[in-house]
Amino acid sequence: MAKKHTQASQPEDPISELTSPAMALVTLCDKLYSSQYDQENLLGDLIALNEASLLLQQTLKKASQDNISTINARLRHDLRNQLGLIKGYAELLMEESDASEIRKSLASILAAAQDILHNPHLVSPSESEALEHSSLKNPEPKALTRLQGERRGAIIIIDDDFRNCELLERHLQNTDHLVISFQSGEDALDYLENNDADVIFLDLIMPEPDGFEVLQRLKQNEQTRAIPVIMVSGIQDAKGVARCIEAGADDYLFKPVDATLLRARLSAGLERKRWLDKENQYRMELERSHSFIRQIFGRYLSDDIVANLLEQPEGLDLGGVKRKVSILMADIRGFTPLCESLPPERVVALINNYVGQMSEIIIRNFGTIDEILGDAILAIFGAPVSREDDTERAIACAIEMQNAMSRINEQNLDMQLPVIEVGIGLNTGEVIAGNIGSERRAKYGVVGHHVNLTARIEDYTQGNEILASQYTVSDCAVPLRIAREFSATPKGVAEPVNIYQITGIEGHYQKYIDSEPAEVAKEHS
Amino acid sequence: MSRILLVEDNEMNRDMLSRRLERRDYKVIIAVDGEQAVALAGSEQPDIILMDMDLPVKDGWTASAEIKQNRQTAGIPIIALTAHAMAGDEARARAAGCDEYEIKPIEFSRLLGKIEQLTQ
Repeated sequence: MAKKHTQASQPEDPISELTSPAMALVTLCDKLYSSQYDQENLLGDLIALNEASLLLQQTLKKASQDNISTINARLRHDLRNQLGLIKGYAELLMEESDASEIRKSLASILAAAQDILHNPHLVSPSESEALEHSSLKNPEPKALTRLQGERRGAIIIIDDDFRNCELLERHLQNTDHLVISFQSGEDALDYLENNDADVIFLDLIMPEPDGFEVLQRLKQNEQTRAIPVIMVSGIQDAKGVARCIEAGADDYLFKPVDATLLRARLSAGLERKRWLDKENQYRMELERSHSFIRQIFGRYLSDDIVANLLEQPEGLDLGGVKRKVSILMADIRGFTPLCESLPPERVVALINNYVGQMSEIIIRNFGTIDEILGDAILAIFGAPVSREDDTERAIACAIEMQNAMSRINEQNLDMQLPVIEVGIGLNTGEVIAGNIGSERRAKYGVVGHHVNLTARIEDYTQGNEILASQYTVSDCAVPLRIAREFSATPKGVAEPVNIYQITGIEGHYQKYIDSEPAEVAKEHS
Repeated sequence: MSRILLVEDNEMNRDMLSRRLERRDYKVIIAVDGEQAVALAGSEQPDIILMDMDLPVKDGWTASAEIKQNRQTAGIPIIALTAHAMAGDEARARAAGCDEYEIKPIEFSRLLGKIEQLTQ
């Protein structure tokens, strides 16, 4: 597939890579000179500054005519010296002049010269060696060098109008970063599938996929979720930008893009990425040293919660946060009499097979298994990490669990174990999530009225049934298939609650209870 | 005020640096090659020497070594200035007897700090 992207600062040719920022610098010096040549006291230095910039231009021009492909020590010496002259005269003028207009131009000349000096081609060997040396001194070179390697990501510009790409590129070309532009969101997403980036500038108004869709896809993908996204749009689209911020964009810029604001947003974005990378690195280290925790608890907790526990020392504090979750409670109907009729080791075999398969389904649906008490399973969707589709996933998960029962029962028959039936209760509401318990024995979990209500709803279920509270049903964004509904006033609940028997979920989930008799189903939205 | 011997063959560098130093009330003496540097160090007895390393006639390393080997000039601090810093340049400058080392383009405020420190 032909990619329509242009690359601003390709590593291919160091001379042409240096020439465009150098030309910008020459223009700045020339502008200052021609606007201020009547300043007699400054004239000498203005001429010297201009001359130094022309020297720089000549050196690069000659190198390009000589077809020089790498920058040798001599050329580096000359270029650095000329940039040093420009810096020196600009600083001298800075000391001599109080006029804000001149000082402003001088500041941009200084910044431009400094940026070119930071170009890797101009960093002298001893400096780069010093850099290498400092990273070698690190006690854990492997993980660190890899991460440092990954950290040098690119700045990505996504805008369907190539002129906007070019404009942004020009603003960004002195930042030491590789700048890559894409004129189509699809191409950019393709590229980001395999490459890291530090910051993405994303145009809001584009033909399919538009900025909002690109943003959503970036935020849904594990690989790209952490890359800071800065939305770029006209001020008339402020509403659209607000929608993007809600959907996970980190920042915004209005067109026409102001250079100072752009720099500020960029450095904030880069800073954010640096912290995220650091956090990632920290987690990797912790994961390695605590891999046994993962081995022991990984069966019961989703990766989310393990990662959360491992990466945040404060995650081990007691206490918690209030948040909306969907709660799933499942247990085997008539389990107690079953236990009494079976030898203990057969009971354990039965539970382990059942709980094992159910855990897998819950974790696959990004649920967190909060508690397994004998045959009862309590799972939460929305803590410690909340997602937009927590409720829908909880419902889909319950259906998947019910449908897994026929397979489990076949296995039970093979092992001469009795056939079992499961009832599942669902409820949605605010709970307290956190590490609950005493200092000595604390575990991540949820407490609150809605947890108790879930248990009551689950009590109403018969074998093979899923019952959900009105709160879950109304929170679900996609249509559900409902077999029956009734109103009940569970113990400890003041108001009656509507309870629905769920047999299927539509939308992109498309999950239905296998044995569902078609004539019972009816649409609900 | 301190007297500085500035050894620099590049005219623009010389002009720029000497003027910036003079603005700070230093008295600047100019040498344009290594040989002149050795001679002026002896005759002028400056408080400090700023020595470019890449010099005609006699390079900065040789000139520095000679200044440091001469009992009359050995006490004058030398700051080596060089643009194409190669690995080992600093060690080489120090071996020649230089007291400090600055990579060009010069960070002027840092250079001033070093001059002040060495001329106290």
